[in-house]
Amino acid sequence: MPPNRRKPPPLLVQLVDLLLIELTNWRWSWRSLVITGVITPLLSVVALGFFARDSGRDTLAYVLTGSLVMSLMFANMGNVRSHFAYLRFMGALDYFATLPIQRYMLILAVVLSFLLLSLPSLVATALAGSLVLGVSITLHPAILLVVPLCALPLAGIGALLGFIARTPEEGSSLNLLVTMVLLGLGPVMIPPDHLPGTLVALGRLSPATYAASALRQALIGPVTGQIVVDLAVLAGLTIVIFWLVGRKMDWRQG
Amino acid sequence: MLVYDVQDVVKTYPGQARPATDHVSLQIQEGEIFGLLGDNGAGKTTLVRQMVNLLRSDAGRITLYGRPVNQDPLHVPLLVGYMPQESQALNNLSVGEALFFTAHLRGLSRADARQERDALLELWQIGDLRDKYSPRLSGGQRRLLRLAVATAGSPPVLVLDEPTNDLDPQRRKLVWDVLRHLNRERGTTIIFITHDAIEAEKVIQRVGILRDGRLVAVGRPSDLKQAVDRKLRLELIFSPDSSPDLPPGLVRREVQPGRWVVLLDWSDVMTVLGQLNLAQLDDFRLYSATLEDLYLRYAAEPS
Repeated sequence: MPPNRRKPPPLLVQLVDLLLIELTNWRWSWRSLVITGVITPLLSVVALGFFARDSGRDTLAYVLTGSLVMSLMFANMGNVRSHFAYLRFMGALDYFATLPIQRYMLILAVVLSFLLLSLPSLVATALAGSLVLGVSITLHPAILLVVPLCALPLAGIGALLGFIARTPEEGSSLNLLVTMVLLGLGPVMIPPDHLPGTLVALGRLSPATYAASALRQALIGPVTGQIVVDLAVLAGLTIVIFWLVGRKMDWRQG
Repeated sequence: MLVYDVQDVVKTYPGQARPATDHVSLQIQEGEIFGLLGDNGAGKTTLVRQMVNLLRSDAGRITLYGRPVNQDPLHVPLLVGYMPQESQALNNLSVGEALFFTAHLRGLSRADARQERDALLELWQIGDLRDKYSPRLSGGQRRLLRLAVATAGSPPVLVLDEPTNDLDPQRRKLVWDVLRHLNRERGTTIIFITHDAIEAEKVIQRVGILRDGRLVAVGRPSDLKQAVDRKLRLELIFSPDSSPDLPPGLVRREVQPGRWVVLLDWSDVMTVLGQLNLAQLDDFRLYSATLEDLYLRYAAEPS
């Protein structure tokens, strides 16, 4: 008989500890969070806002919410991707794999930590973008649901890229490619009537389209029935993507 | 009690023609200190990663306390503290945080985890590093932290991949002392990989030697030494610029520039010593076979 094993810690304890461990990532990532989470989206707000300044409030609303999606992408998808690549290629994943924890608790902790770390960037981009573009923000309570559901599938895509890339460099290139495709595909930063029909149709496959739509309704209004569709699609994508992440995670063999 | 039972285990990495572990069978009893020796690429790390369920075997079976390691994903983590060969950082945790969280995640209460952290800081003599972040530690400090992390929560089995790499002689001695202490006081079963055969001899109770993925020798050092024990080891130390003349018929092995080892039959010792030109030597030593000799005999020489 084996010696008396301790019981694994309850799932909530696992999640809290792992979240606290992951939040220490601010010690290395705060610079990139500031640079990619605020400065890059703000540059896009200024540049696109300049071209769109005479196109009306609706177009400016797309520019603002598209930039927020970009901020979420950099701060969640990009950082989660690079963090999982770091864990894999630097051997740190072995540390977690040999602790009595569930893999989904680690994935959830990483994603939640980067979501929390991305909130200041998101708020800064929203306030600065609103000032620069002259678009007034009217917060709808749904924003509390919209922000996490926008960030989660993007973070999940980042985790997937972190696990499938054969090298950190390959992961970085894939991340850039996916970011560009998601931002360019569908009405994320540009209204649908300014885009070719094919791109609008393809955009229905992209989480960024639904994220931008939900953010637009919850921040600028009006909130319509479309937000239910947006949130349902984002929730569904979150489940599918995280299932794939769990399968692709190079972890214990049992 | 049998802790590990490794039966006919094989692992071949994709794209490689030769298996990294090739039909390895091995048993490790409770309370043993077991050393795994072998050259670089011999398959040591692959074998221990299979044993801690981080690598899937292509064939064979590994059980831990009678249960297959891959049957329940939490079976190994609840019983084994593993220190991998290379791991750059434990996220961005400080030394104290890393020990606390590891102990807490291994099932200790918060109060016990705090006590465990303080005890480990003292045991591994890293109290002065408590608030330092792990990425900022030197190689040796990081190695001690990772050893402390592996032992956090007092798992009954430790699997350590090269525990004394990067360490100075004083810290290497600390590691062997602590491992002996854990084995003696808590009955911890310890399995480790090392290249440091001479120092490991002080703690190893049983040894396995891997060559090209195959376990070519396993047993107590004293038993294995009998194969080479009839020979005495003559070590010659001299200036690398001028090699000494050896009596005819002797086969030397260069350990490093300026250091040769010759294996002698007991009956030849006096004759050989009488024929050596001592003026060509800085020093010479004569002793019976060591664990390093076993390592070199089994790991380096073709069978």
